[in-house]
Amino acid sequence: MASRWASSAAIGVLVCGGLMACSGDGPAGDDLEGVRAALPMEVAGWRAVDDGEVYDSESIFAYIDGHAEVYLAYGMRRCLARRYTGPQGEADIVVDLFELDSAANAYGVFTHDRDGEAVDVGQGALLRPGWLSFWKGPWFGSIYAEGESEASLIAVNALAHAAADAISVEGEAPDLVGELPTDGLDPRSVRFLHTWEILNSALFVGGENIFSLSSETDAVLGRYRREGGEGWILLVEYPDEATASVAKENARVGGYESRRDGKRLALVLKPATPELADNLLVNALGGAR
Amino acid sequence: MKGKRLSRRDFLAAGSGAAAATLLGVPRPGESSDQPSSRVVLVRHENVLGEDGQEDSAVLHEMLNRAVKALMGEPEAAAAWRRLMSPSDVVGIKTNVWKFLRTPPALENAIREEVLAVGVRPENVAIDDRGVPSNPVFQRATAIINTRPMRTHHWSGLGTSIKNMIMFVPRPADYHGDACAPLGAIWNLPEVKGKVRLNVLVMLTPQFHGVGPHSYSPKHVWPYRGLIVGTDPVAVDATGARIIQAKRDLFFGEERPISPPPHHIEIAGERYGLGVSDPAQIELVRLGWMEEALI
Repeated sequence: MASRWASSAAIGVLVCGGLMACSGDGPAGDDLEGVRAALPMEVAGWRAVDDGEVYDSESIFAYIDGHAEVYLAYGMRRCLARRYTGPQGEADIVVDLFELDSAANAYGVFTHDRDGEAVDVGQGALLRPGWLSFWKGPWFGSIYAEGESEASLIAVNALAHAAADAISVEGEAPDLVGELPTDGLDPRSVRFLHTWEILNSALFVGGENIFSLSSETDAVLGRYRREGGEGWILLVEYPDEATASVAKENARVGGYESRRDGKRLALVLKPATPELADNLLVNALGGAR
Repeated sequence: MKGKRLSRRDFLAAGSGAAAATLLGVPRPGESSDQPSSRVVLVRHENVLGEDGQEDSAVLHEMLNRAVKALMGEPEAAAAWRRLMSPSDVVGIKTNVWKFLRTPPALENAIREEVLAVGVRPENVAIDDRGVPSNPVFQRATAIINTRPMRTHHWSGLGTSIKNMIMFVPRPADYHGDACAPLGAIWNLPEVKGKVRLNVLVMLTPQFHGVGPHSYSPKHVWPYRGLIVGTDPVAVDATGARIIQAKRDLFFGEERPISPPPHHIEIAGERYGLGVSDPAQIELVRLGWMEEALI
């Protein structure tokens, strides 16, 4: 099914230009109102119910029940939500565009769920049955079909391209992502995050925040497959060396292998063997242990 | 599970339905039981969902009563319900109205009908979810019936019977850190403690996986056509969790553990004494259509 969705992505690109009735003349700036104005009101036969609702960090809880904290953990500023109704018999499609406080955090939200097939939308996109996610600049986009059909697949992809086109700026993935050792790294496992709660939702570690993760910390998580089995590296950049030092000591007490370099701490999580933990730490951070 | 029959004198002596439940031998959350196991009833019916996915109210009501009879060891539904509550009770039916997968109103109404049939006065019955802290009936409730659909949940792994009490706390997000491990603590709040007489976990179209901002995709629900009913919320949820896990493994074609792990279920039993999660300690009664029961 995912392949069918992916192949439809290409169709979506082709039909996007022909089927859109754009209300704007292209990117009108990247503030939310500009994006709203540039987002077409009709795509591939799906017509917007209205101009869309805008939610902030308080009102988002009324819109997203039980999941809003994910976006808040990545510095969500606002969310533009617009519903499109399809032709007779077709399910609605919901476009949610989240404005984060940085491109790094948009990338982070995007990495929160990495299932699906990569498709060419924005600066990175993933397509699964019924749902396409992408990031571009400080924006994270979610295009969600409430039912599936060939026509809705095309519309989802067309809407995704239209939404990405409504955002003019691009941004950079966090530098820390590039600091992960590449040997044995599963690139699709990489996640950028800040808080303990998000770490636990990606890889459940435990109840106590012994690594002192917070909104002040940047962290990148990656899964490794090397000779000897599988394990994870969590690379954390703390606001200061003292916090990093305390986290390292807490990790030691908690039984985690780690090495520190200034404000950065590399931790090995769930290694298949102690030997693999040592192996993973050898080139994490590069410097002396 | 089968306790002694309750006489009118017993009720008068007990002074309240809550106290009466203790006389009935119904395991009460937070209290130890002499019984070595908890009884959980899984009831399914092939025709509870129509081709359009809508519930058949009559079939659903019949499933509910069949489960309650088996749970309480009574041949008649009325007698079984009378063992769960008394006419003097004030009953809050704690439902769940999540927009993608809510407790079916037909089930809410069936429960309400049975509560009224016991003799509880209409003004002493309320159905509510997010408004429970300010609902006047819930504020003076002596009994709660807890019903919700089972689904995967971003923070707790699973949305469970145990988790359904979260609306009684002002800041649900405070529970997210450790995959909602301390959810069982909510059951010890005065508004809840000792009041939950019955848990009805809706497994008509349970959700086994969540995607996207709204954590829902129609691809990840399936017509299981069941209810899981019990007085022990831990046993009810542990049973539902096994079914969800089995469905995930089947759907993905590989082991796909529920993530984050729904350890709040086990912790609710071990730390907060709300029940048992070990299948060996759960007496599972299966009723009705059992094709692809996954358990």
